Amino acid sequence: MRLPTTLRIGLLAALLAFLSSAALIGFIHWRTYDDSVAAVHEQVAEASSALDDVYSSGGRRALDKAISDTLGSGDPQLLAAVLAPDGAARIGNVGAVVEPPLPLRPGYRVGRIQFRGAATTTSVAYLLRRLDDGEWLLTGRSLGERIRFQRILESSLGLALAISVLLGLICGLVVARYVGSRVGAMADVADSIAGGDLAQRVPLSGSRDAFDGLARQINRMLDRIAALMEELRLLTDSLAHDLRSPVGRLRARVEAALAATDDSKRDSLLGGILQEADSLMRMLTTVLEIGRSEAMASRNQFEPLDPAGLIDELAEMYEPIAEEAGCTLNVEAESGLPIFTGHRQLLAQTLSNLFDNALNYARSGGTVILFARVKDGRMRLGVADRGPGIAPADRAEAKRRFGRLDSSRSTGGAGLGLALAEAVAHLHGGALELLDNGPGLRAVLVLPLDGVSLP
Amino acid sequence: MGRKILLIEDDRETASYLARGLGEEGHGVEHVEDGRDGLFRATDGSFDLVILDRMVPGLDGLALLKAMRAARVETPVLILSALASVTDRIEGLESGSDDYLVKPFSFGELLARVNALLRRGEGKSAADLRILVGDLEIEPLSRVVKRSGKPIDLKPREYRLLEYLARNEGRVVTRTMLLELVWDYHFDPGTNVIDVHVSRLRRKLEEGFERPILHTVRGAGYRLAATV
Repeated sequence: MRLPTTLRIGLLAALLAFLSSAALIGFIHWRTYDDSVAAVHEQVAEASSALDDVYSSGGRRALDKAISDTLGSGDPQLLAAVLAPDGAARIGNVGAVVEPPLPLRPGYRVGRIQFRGAATTTSVAYLLRRLDDGEWLLTGRSLGERIRFQRILESSLGLALAISVLLGLICGLVVARYVGSRVGAMADVADSIAGGDLAQRVPLSGSRDAFDGLARQINRMLDRIAALMEELRLLTDSLAHDLRSPVGRLRARVEAALAATDDSKRDSLLGGILQEADSLMRMLTTVLEIGRSEAMASRNQFEPLDPAGLIDELAEMYEPIAEEAGCTLNVEAESGLPIFTGHRQLLAQTLSNLFDNALNYARSGGTVILFARVKDGRMRLGVADRGPGIAPADRAEAKRRFGRLDSSRSTGGAGLGLALAEAVAHLHGGALELLDNGPGLRAVLVLPLDGVSLP
Repeated sequence: MGRKILLIEDDRETASYLARGLGEEGHGVEHVEDGRDGLFRATDGSFDLVILDRMVPGLDGLALLKAMRAARVETPVLILSALASVTDRIEGLESGSDDYLVKPFSFGELLARVNALLRRGEGKSAADLRILVGDLEIEPLSRVVKRSGKPIDLKPREYRLLEYLARNEGRVVTRTMLLELVWDYHFDPGTNVIDVHVSRLRRKLEEGFERPILHTVRGAGYRLAATV
């Protein structure tokens, strides 16, 4: 499949070379030919009218003298003669007009004549003018030299055309081979990737040309795909792993409930089973929610939101929870914050997750702050606590799905909260920032104020 | 008092479990498995409630719902779906359903929602009517709440919580229903946030009174009633 392409490109290049050279050569030929023919015509006409002038003023005698003078100048190309009405030579250097055949007609033409005393005919351009007594005045030039020059020019131009076609074909083949080999390398990589080997990369020639640019882009794309695949693999692994323990607990509790003889004990075991199942459901729903958010599937549900209203509602909802946990909940929402576009449910869910995290880590008597402010043209919604915080080195891990910093935590949603927060931030065209609150954690959704463009 | 419910659900096990449970509550249940049959039955207007699985063969649940609403059939519709994300729920509600319940669900949750929807269909929820639950008196217009004539001071959200419970007097209202209908949050906050709010409300309603009025129904939710 690739070789015919190379050939096609080669042939195309040859064809283009042929067409452009042919046009050029045609132009040269046309100009030189026309110019030389025009020049001859002019010379012949000039000589003819000069002789005619002599004839009109001095008559036949003067003409005869002028013809012999003209011929006496020694130009062997020159023709000058007076012919009888039937074409027979009277005076001058013409023996006979051979082409076009007799009878003679006035006017300029290209033909053949026989020089007086010569055995062969010569190609000439001549002009015939009828004299008063029916005789013909012939003036002309032999074309031999010009035709030879023209022939040499034509054959050189033809040769040049052949060479340019050949060079075009060679260049085309070379270019096609080069392009083919570079593209072929990419195609080979694509083939092996389609075959499942994601580790393959397109080799770079180091020339920083367009192919290298394309190769680099393809490689970047492959890196991204590989990273996503790795993430997906990790995700399914951790999902399977994280499902294993609650399902195990569920199973153990069901077994215990089956074995229980005491009704109240069985009831409490069944209650535990229900809770376990609910937390499993919650985990699965959150995983799906992250997937949906990352696929940008819910932007059509965006609506205009008042950031202070959003924060106040959540604070109103969580204030009693904070109080029960022995913490203080403070709201910091600047007045007059601009309305922005967002997904109310997902933002509320995200902030409530962040708040839950903060409450888990804030010590009793601590303060958790829910805040909304605008800085550098971006909406910043978030939660700040005075807990242990997350070390800068661990922050990337914290955002990863099922990324666990604290393996002792075993609540169902753990490991997903920050991943969901990041996915929701991405859905809004923003980012999740985990900052040091000195001490504690400041988790901020940084969202563009103008909103993402709605579909 | 039995009502007529149309159940559009292709999973036979779920359908027979629901039909049996709702039958025991005194409702008449007609079950169809195909979306097109469902739309045909739903548009004859003789049902008090439609329970619709979101993914049924023949015609997609949401398309069925839109066709039904386009035909001006205003029967309350409860969607059942395994699609649990916030986005899916909102999509379901926005396509014209009155409630959205995620599978798997507890029968108690379903029953509470069914009863709330059927009651809404009765048209007794005019906002200007005074609501009486035993010795508890609620004036929706002025938002004044009194118990045995003694005014009870409630925060706006507590008032909405109480009004919703009172409008479903004697019926179980689940935590998720409260979260969705009082707070308009369609996600699971995963904490006991509703319990905390209900217990605050209960403290205000019952402090200084002998008789409990806001009851916890174990494993299901809450019920506001003068008697247990």
